[in-house]
Amino acid sequence: MEFERIDNIPTETIEGYRVRPGKPLPFGVSSVPGGLNFSVYTSAGTSCTLVLFSRSEASPLAEIKVPDHYRIGDVYSIVVYDLDYEDLEYGFRIDGPFEPERGNRFDKSKVLMDPYARVISGRDEWGLDPDWSRAYQYRSRVAFDDFDWEGDSPLEIDDADLVIYELHVRSFTKNDNSGVKFKGTYAGIVEKVPYLKALGINAVELMPVFEFDEFENSRIHPDTGEKLYNYWGYSTVAFFAPKAGFAASGKFGMQMDEFKQLVKELHKEGIEVILDVVFNHTAEGNERGPSISFKGLDNKIYYMLTPEGYYFNFSGTGNTLNCNNPVVRNLVLDCLRYWASEYHIDGFRFDLASILGRDPWGAPLSNPPLLESLAFDPILSSCKLIAEAWDAGGLYQVGTFPAYGRWSEWNGKYRDTARRYLKGDDGQLGEMAQRVQGSPDLYQWNGRSPATSINFITCHDGFTLADLVSFNGKHNEANGENNSDGGDDNHSWNCGAEGWTDDAEINSLRMRQCMNAIGVLLTSRGTPMLLMGDELGRSQHGNNNAYCIDSEVSWVDWSLLESNRKLFEFTQSLINFRHQHKCLRINRFDHEGSNYLPSCSFHGTKPWEVNWSAGSKQLGWLMSCDDEATGHMDAVFVASNVAHYACWFDLPRLPDEYQWQLCYNTGDRDSPSQANPTQYHENGILVGERSMTIFAASPRET
Amino acid sequence: MSLTIEVTQGDIHVTITLSGDVDTKTAPDLLSKLTALELHALEQLRLDLQAVEFVSSAGLRAIVFAKQKMPHESALYLIGASEQIVDTITKTGLAQAVRIVNSADEI
Repeated sequence: MEFERIDNIPTETIEGYRVRPGKPLPFGVSSVPGGLNFSVYTSAGTSCTLVLFSRSEASPLAEIKVPDHYRIGDVYSIVVYDLDYEDLEYGFRIDGPFEPERGNRFDKSKVLMDPYARVISGRDEWGLDPDWSRAYQYRSRVAFDDFDWEGDSPLEIDDADLVIYELHVRSFTKNDNSGVKFKGTYAGIVEKVPYLKALGINAVELMPVFEFDEFENSRIHPDTGEKLYNYWGYSTVAFFAPKAGFAASGKFGMQMDEFKQLVKELHKEGIEVILDVVFNHTAEGNERGPSISFKGLDNKIYYMLTPEGYYFNFSGTGNTLNCNNPVVRNLVLDCLRYWASEYHIDGFRFDLASILGRDPWGAPLSNPPLLESLAFDPILSSCKLIAEAWDAGGLYQVGTFPAYGRWSEWNGKYRDTARRYLKGDDGQLGEMAQRVQGSPDLYQWNGRSPATSINFITCHDGFTLADLVSFNGKHNEANGENNSDGGDDNHSWNCGAEGWTDDAEINSLRMRQCMNAIGVLLTSRGTPMLLMGDELGRSQHGNNNAYCIDSEVSWVDWSLLESNRKLFEFTQSLINFRHQHKCLRINRFDHEGSNYLPSCSFHGTKPWEVNWSAGSKQLGWLMSCDDEATGHMDAVFVASNVAHYACWFDLPRLPDEYQWQLCYNTGDRDSPSQANPTQYHENGILVGERSMTIFAASPRET
Repeated sequence: MSLTIEVTQGDIHVTITLSGDVDTKTAPDLLSKLTALELHALEQLRLDLQAVEFVSSAGLRAIVFAKQKMPHESALYLIGASEQIVDTITKTGLAQAVRIVNSADEI
């Protein structure tokens, strides 16, 4: 016997809408037969009104005050029937005390965005001036999952096998010469998937794609008149919604589908998707910033506040999300689970992650519950978790970030050491040797592995690779802050002239230095990360902090693919080389090497002898393992000379049945990559000034 | 702008000819016409979009809905869709669910 269900029948009518008490979980909007369930949390709010809008209309369609008896604990929930959810936009008004000194900032005149909203309208097309007269700017919409994934699932590539490519969605294809139809969008990246595949990378790390407002703090440059934006988007408006302005279909509200299509197309080519996520702060700023959502829902729960009710500012951007409050912790978990399951995301990189390990008063926790929850979450168990292991409040945790065996880190020490080493600073050999083998000084003592280290020399913060070898100092005038923004510890060297020059020798040296950097990066253990366009010699004209620039300065110039063809081919070939040579990707510090050679050994101009003194500028590294599939030894030898003169390196001897092949020589201007490496007959090689050579062992033909 | 919807039954297919805009207001009409068909047994559905300028996300979802209700080996043709409509379908990954042709002669 089956009864008709009676748990889904409207119980009353409010403002002409049929309603009934809702379910408190899940938060946000969910679909029930015939209606929508709305659920929102506020611990100190005293009443809740659901505000409904017809799409794009300034004034509400209806305001439904949620009856007090619909509240369970601190959660208001209501089911509303017969809504046209394609046309619907909604928000909440929460009443409660306005007493900033006690942390409460309720204001029932404000319509607040649902923090769990999956689609946001209001910034549907990039750069379209918003109508600021509207009271409700970032408008929650309703969306459900009907995307056809065609059997796709996250790729789960081994951390040690990844080659990550960091990119900004708009910058990647916005340039007129990108050759794509949908410039500057998710769909534009889809058109460039063949390029990414050909380059050989197997993960993209997308700079923020959670809905943000490019107009936050936007302004006109006082001298140039250029419009400056919140271009990078490290300031989240809505954690569950993909940025509409990055979608060519954003004006139709179809950014979810377009973003999923991007993930699906990348996965088809074996490329993972890692999202750069910003949980350390929000777009609501400090006491002078707007009330978008959290501030009006429950200010003192969501933000870290001083005893006087002001905002702590560990993020350097106005406020700090109170991540280790249990309620906020759950929001972060819900968000990441949503992106992992709904969007098939393969990993997350956490901006200023050290903030996530602070207690509600800002003190670093030894066992931060949020980081632990993320590390052991059942849905996130195959996701990469990557920390930017520092914050703007002075906490620097590279090597000590609470990892729970799961977290890896952007290794800022790798970047700094490699830069100093490559420009020939004294006293760098010892530390470079640590970095090359996966930074055991940072990660071995606590049982972590080489792939814990995300190795990079450049990222969105700081100089591009071409600028690193062309500028001694930053040139950030275009940012409109009198060149006072951006870091000064760039460890860069302009190779003899500041900025662009016609001097062929300088340009040739710069090209070599770019190749040396890519060479070191791709022959180090750990997970390498490249910045978009570095394989093409992309420049930002010395701007090391182009966070506000939406112009050719920050867009990838695709004409470089022709003019810097050799650099592209070198990078492409070396990525492939890394994929071929397991010995470069060993992910254990206690690995014993091959039958003949240690796992990782260091050499100078004489094999097995390194001159570790401060003035020494020559370092070789030899990595080796046995390849079980072929039964052969895999070995790679790198000889690098960062001195301004050439040096002879004797090659380490191989067992009789193997021979060296010279694969790369950055000192060979015409052919830095050997197309068909053949047996190398000499016992050594003259490595040119500021050059490196890379050899691979191959079985001797008998 | 209104939408007129004309349904014609062929031998093995149904043609729905649309004229006007498929927007938030008119998409429900299209959806109700689609649900009135015996979708689960339909071999071929032809949507003639030659006189349509704009299809909103609600309209595209109605089309996806129809395809998902139809048998796996069935075909859903979009006839004469404008470049903008085809673009949107391509960008959002709906293109693999449908077959895009310029005119019924190509079927």
